[in-house]
Amino acid sequence: MTAAASLLWLARHEGSLAWRDMHYLMTAGGRWRLRSVALIFLAIMAFLHLVAYSIVAPHAQARVESGPTVLVAVTGSLGLSFFLMLSQALEQVTRLFYSRGDLDLFKSSPLPLDRLFGLRVAAIAVSTTAMALIVAAPVLNVLMFLGGPRWALGFGVAAAGGLAATGLSLVLAAILFDTMGPRRTRLAAQIASAIVGSAFIIGIQAVAILSIGTLSPQAFFQSEIVIAHAPAAESWLWLPTRAVLGDGMALLATFAIGLLLLAVPMQILAKRLGDYALAAAGVAQGDRRPRRASWVFRRAGASRLLRRKEWVLLLRDPWLASQTLMQMLYLIPSGLLLWRCYGDSQGASVVLAPVLTMAAGQLGGGLGWLAVSGEDAPDLIASAPLSPGLHLRSKVEAVQLAIFAVFAPFLLALAGLDWKSALIVAAGIGIAALSSTLVQIWFRSQASRRHFRRRQTSSRIATFAEAFASVAWAATAAIASSGSWLLAIGPAVIALLILYGAWAMRPRS
Amino acid sequence: MCKSFQRPAVDRLDLTVRRGEFYALLGPNGAGKTTTLRIVSGLLRPDSGSVLIWGIDALADPVAAKRITAWVSDEPMIYDKLSPMEYLAFVAGLWEVEPALAEKSANELLDLLELRPVAHERCDGFSKGMRQKVALAGALVHDPKLIILDEPLTGLDARAARLVKDALLARVRRGCTVIMTTHILEVAERMAERIGVISRGRLIAEGSLDELRHRTGGTAGDRSLEDVFLALVAEQDAAQMPTGAPAGAPVA
Repeated sequence: MTAAASLLWLARHEGSLAWRDMHYLMTAGGRWRLRSVALIFLAIMAFLHLVAYSIVAPHAQARVESGPTVLVAVTGSLGLSFFLMLSQALEQVTRLFYSRGDLDLFKSSPLPLDRLFGLRVAAIAVSTTAMALIVAAPVLNVLMFLGGPRWALGFGVAAAGGLAATGLSLVLAAILFDTMGPRRTRLAAQIASAIVGSAFIIGIQAVAILSIGTLSPQAFFQSEIVIAHAPAAESWLWLPTRAVLGDGMALLATFAIGLLLLAVPMQILAKRLGDYALAAAGVAQGDRRPRRASWVFRRAGASRLLRRKEWVLLLRDPWLASQTLMQMLYLIPSGLLLWRCYGDSQGASVVLAPVLTMAAGQLGGGLGWLAVSGEDAPDLIASAPLSPGLHLRSKVEAVQLAIFAVFAPFLLALAGLDWKSALIVAAGIGIAALSSTLVQIWFRSQASRRHFRRRQTSSRIATFAEAFASVAWAATAAIASSGSWLLAIGPAVIALLILYGAWAMRPRS
Repeated sequence: MCKSFQRPAVDRLDLTVRRGEFYALLGPNGAGKTTTLRIVSGLLRPDSGSVLIWGIDALADPVAAKRITAWVSDEPMIYDKLSPMEYLAFVAGLWEVEPALAEKSANELLDLLELRPVAHERCDGFSKGMRQKVALAGALVHDPKLIILDEPLTGLDARAARLVKDALLARVRRGCTVIMTTHILEVAERMAERIGVISRGRLIAEGSLDELRHRTGGTAGDRSLEDVFLALVAEQDAAQMPTGAPAGAPVA
């Protein structure tokens, strides 16, 4: 083994690349100084500590002996966090095999691929664990401050969760590779990641809606039905929860399990990871099978052509379609609530209006980016004989119509209850989607559609403007749905101010 | 016309290309060739100056100018999720070509550029050469009067390059004007009726190959275009040296 191929040298190389990647993500390519980013990070963490205080302060004295209510509530929160970690790790593990980057260089070098992938899986475990610790920190810090140092064991549980999530995601990715083949695994893993990440919260919300008529998971965890069916306090299922509540032995057991769940799959699968990457690289990009042309020569206006092009490109790219549409999974509970509340139009619309408006804003941002910044042939469009602004108008129309197609079933169902509420929600959806699309137009920067996941790094201002405007429009829709029209003016003005600020700060080129 | 970014990219450039002419625009890297062609194609606006395409003021009426112009860049930008036939239908639609005429033209181009076997496959994973041929077919499907090409032969194999060159020469014979930049000087030497050489955004020489040879002190047939081009650029560089600086010394 040469010195250059030593594990330590490789780890240092990978660490350096990971740091630069993180620096780029945090600073959007170096435009922000690291000190500014650190200050913003601290400000956000301080805010999260305040939020955590308002939520967990009453529970700081909770102990195992407090009874099944505490055990169920803590386990529910841990379960939610773990599934989110699993989703993140699965996405990262799969990306490992499909990202070309420097893999061709490593594949052509004498370095054993299992060593490289072993190291990269370990790096995923570290990043997943670090993220878990950062997310858990506000809650655990508040609990430690109010309830004593025993809560510090929660950090160990978060770390064990990160290790276990990485190991399980490695097993899941291997199963997908072996059963579906390299051509389908990327998309399948993408969908699986979204479902795993949302399944727990959606499942709990769905059961909560159907059993006790509320969207709140916490209310569900504290309901009599759940408490009655909870395992006995001695059950091993409570191990992580007992560890969080200050049981040192339980923490040791939990951490050992987490470590085993990572180490065993890594040991067993180490030799196959390189094969997976080679198989992934051997897959021809995309689907080139000949097929009947769905796009024929016929007379159509430029606007219609451009709209159609956007829809066809999205529908023919399952990976992108899943990236954008998977967030619609979170609408399932809203649909269930709508179905359950049939007959109580006011109650349903007040709950649905903000959820649907927010979702429309997020979807509008994603689709807007694809249509505006993700244009594959900008020179073709710019050199075409189109009147000024026509192609941008067409793209906005394409996004708006796609969003209305997604939300139409909800609006129709709501209209069946109360057409006035449906109109308010429709207006909220349209305005939020339009706002996000406009932000994408103001901050457009030419990029490959493959970089969809990194679109948020191109402009922090655009990301924040899109998110906060969506939140403000959601609040407007919720208040308007409750009948308080005057109060709704407040968040609407805030949304407009956010948009004005984004417009004023747009890059001028 | 003039166009500056951090420094002047096109500096008081005055260029006339005749109707039905094959014109090659040559220059070292960063000379302003691409910027010039992007301005003529309507992809960039000049800081000052004017562009006339077949009598149409391209800055005052860009839509009319674009209707008779086609642009092909060195990096073929096509839609991976469309097949070549669908791409041609889309482009023909943008240029509002009569559908029957567009379909006939598309089929001819697919045959001419040997794209027929992949006409209904999505462009995902096409080689650079295949993508460039699809882009060129898109540029020709609306029968433009002016075709502007920026390094269209980069990355093409010999057969694909021959197909592209033949297709362009056929268009010129039909009265179409072609302006092309290339670093493959043999191509310019064989195909272009007139050649313009630009350096630092300025036109430093223009004429037929023989006229350029004469200008650099040679006689017809004794020097290749490569020799002529290098001599012209060196002459220009020397002329722009600060007084007293030795040849080859850095300008700044």
